[in-house]
Amino acid sequence: MRHDFLDRYSRLDSPIHRASAAVKLVVALALVVAVVLLPASRPMFLVAVAVVLVAVAVLSRVPWRFLVVRVLLLEPFVLGVAMLALFQSGGWRMFLFLVGKCTVCLMVMVLLSNTTPFSDLLRVLKRWRMPALLVTTLSLMYRYVFVLVDEAQRMGRARTSRTFTPRRSRAWRTIATVVSQLFIRSSERAERIYAAMCARGWR
Amino acid sequence: MTAAVEVRDLHFRYGDGTHALRGVGFSVAEGESVGLIGPNGAGKSTLLLHLNGLLPEAWRGEGSVRVGGVQVGPDTLHEVRRKVGLLFQDPNDQLFCPTVFEDVAFGPQQLGLPEAAVRERVARALAEAGTPGFEARAPHHLSVGEKRRVCLAGVLACDPSILVLDEPSSSLDPRGRRELKELLRQIAITKLIATHDLELVVELCSRVIVLDEGAVVAQGPTVEVLADEDLMLRHNLERPHILRHLHPH
Amino acid sequence: MHIPDGFLDSQTAVTAAALAVTGLGVALRRARLHLPPRRVPLLGLAAAFVFAAQMINFPVAGGTSGHLIGAVLAAVLLGPSAAVIVISAVLIVQCLMFADGGISALGANIFNMGVIGGVGGWAVYHVVSRLVKGLFGCVVAAGFAAWCSTVMASVACAGELASSHTVRWSVALPAMAGAHMLIGIGEGLITVLVLVAIARTRPELLQPEAAPEPRRSYGAIVAYGGLIALGLALFVSPLASRWPDGLDRTAELLGFKEKAVAPMVPAPMPDYEVPGFHWTTLGTSLAGAVGTIVVFALAWLLARALVPKGAAGPRGVP
Repeated sequence: MRHDFLDRYSRLDSPIHRASAAVKLVVALALVVAVVLLPASRPMFLVAVAVVLVAVAVLSRVPWRFLVVRVLLLEPFVLGVAMLALFQSGGWRMFLFLVGKCTVCLMVMVLLSNTTPFSDLLRVLKRWRMPALLVTTLSLMYRYVFVLVDEAQRMGRARTSRTFTPRRSRAWRTIATVVSQLFIRSSERAERIYAAMCARGWR
Repeated sequence: MTAAVEVRDLHFRYGDGTHALRGVGFSVAEGESVGLIGPNGAGKSTLLLHLNGLLPEAWRGEGSVRVGGVQVGPDTLHEVRRKVGLLFQDPNDQLFCPTVFEDVAFGPQQLGLPEAAVRERVARALAEAGTPGFEARAPHHLSVGEKRRVCLAGVLACDPSILVLDEPSSSLDPRGRRELKELLRQIAITKLIATHDLELVVELCSRVIVLDEGAVVAQGPTVEVLADEDLMLRHNLERPHILRHLHPH
Repeated sequence: MHIPDGFLDSQTAVTAAALAVTGLGVALRRARLHLPPRRVPLLGLAAAFVFAAQMINFPVAGGTSGHLIGAVLAAVLLGPSAAVIVISAVLIVQCLMFADGGISALGANIFNMGVIGGVGGWAVYHVVSRLVKGLFGCVVAAGFAAWCSTVMASVACAGELASSHTVRWSVALPAMAGAHMLIGIGEGLITVLVLVAIARTRPELLQPEAAPEPRRSYGAIVAYGGLIALGLALFVSPLASRWPDGLDRTAELLGFKEKAVAPMVPAPMPDYEVPGFHWTTLGTSLAGAVGTIVVFALAWLLARALVPKGAAGPRGVP
């Protein structure tokens, strides 16, 4: 199984995808900051931003179902914290306002991540003088996340296929074995990558 | 004329005590294509790592490795790695950058070339490897065959004078294998190919070296060595079918 | 615990971001000084590893599931500074690639999970593993530190939510800390099981070369310790001492102080607490103290069950 689903739509072709990554990152950041700074007395601004975002989403040609699912998947965390706001006076208004604000921000970030490959964002961050070690770490991480997630799933499946009586204690053991194997394999792979980097003149 | 690769009485022990190489010696002439065969664990990959000075603990050990007349050692690493292009077994280990362009450009950038020259080299190497225009692709969106070619492009972009390949045809489908053979045939530089794919050896290499238990057990012209049924079976190998047609009993 | 956009006000977000940037800067500097080149790729791979490990859910009570944070696991395997870099990288990718955790809250998330979770957790690990010897001691220390790190990070998170006037301290603290006292048990258990499995198959990965950072560096202690202390002083301590102000200001900010809207859901905590006597903070602290002792005992028992007697510690010292 391939894990390109993790960033499947970021490489489509549309006016939004073609826009420069730096511009998109700045606009997204500005929008989020504007929404975060919004006073509770101006809820209509949220609606305006949401409308613009829907238009951008349509232009981007990313399937709307996928976008909606992504936002909904992230919503539980938002609801969880926003619920806490219910336990105080004026809780409902605060709750709705928080959920609205967070959802709009989520839309911004989901759109950004699905119209801009992470490698492009990384190049922007590099140009903005992010320290080299962090850039290297991020680019290796992005490159190998797919490989490792795949490895984890294969190991998990191999285990499940030999598990006949699922028990909770067994489940913990399984997770621990998979995670420890994953670390061992990652550190071995890191050695081989170091060799490959050296072989091409890395200093 | 100095040999492209010359290995003399090379010994190597890993930190865990595994005695991987026990006195390996051979040489590869300029322009030659040599196959390196042997069962799993014979020491093939370890040997190839030596050719690029990738096992720092080896410098204190016995034996010598010379590449184009240069002794591999701490002071000559940069020179040696420029000369020897190493293609690793797992393309996932070798493609470590987030995009194909960055990956193929990695070597030339380390050489300190200006940006325009880097771009030019990347485009040329990708074309040579049969993956022109792949610059913006992400490695995790490539098939195994494409990954292998991009790896090769990354090596070719460094302009090596010797190509060292570790299992280049493993996990390729028949078509991918055929295309890879074609590609390697067209690359006219000295090649040392470690592989289990004996048909590839027959088609590409004029000479083979058989390695087992960390030592060279036979070497000679490909057809002669591979046709020696006893020798092949003794070292967990077998005569390739292709030779049965060439020399029917 | 990934705070989304919209929950933090600008003041808190900016303060947290400044703390996070400083912490990450210290970590990067230390890595540049002490990390040998051959370990550089491991940072990226470890970040991918933590990311993949976070995707594996583990069962928590009542059919719900939690997932690993991995800060202490990373700190034990790679050292505290590397852990800060690794966890930050994970959070940056989660934010920019998956919109998980807000971009305006990225600083807060890095500070909570990377700096407090990683370095704070490592400090606990370091102290306990000094007191209890051998592999047994390391296992006890790692399990206990993983729990502490999760709870500490959640307290900081609650503090940030409360000082942003999003959720009242008296609600945020028990809810966040309470939930994470439970989740932390899972974190501790996985951390322990994973370390034991690694010690069994590849003990050399737990060797000192694996974490080449000098053990005793006063500069680092001052820098990291100062950052964590500053963070707690800014986000947590003012709330712990005078939370009603926070509530008043929230009401003011939302403009319904005069309207005095009655809560739709009856608050579980009465609104009229005796000033100067803070049940929530006190109660949670008490629960925290009891929890700490219980978890330490649990970690001890778990290590007893998992580690053979007299197994040498990762440092080779008895």
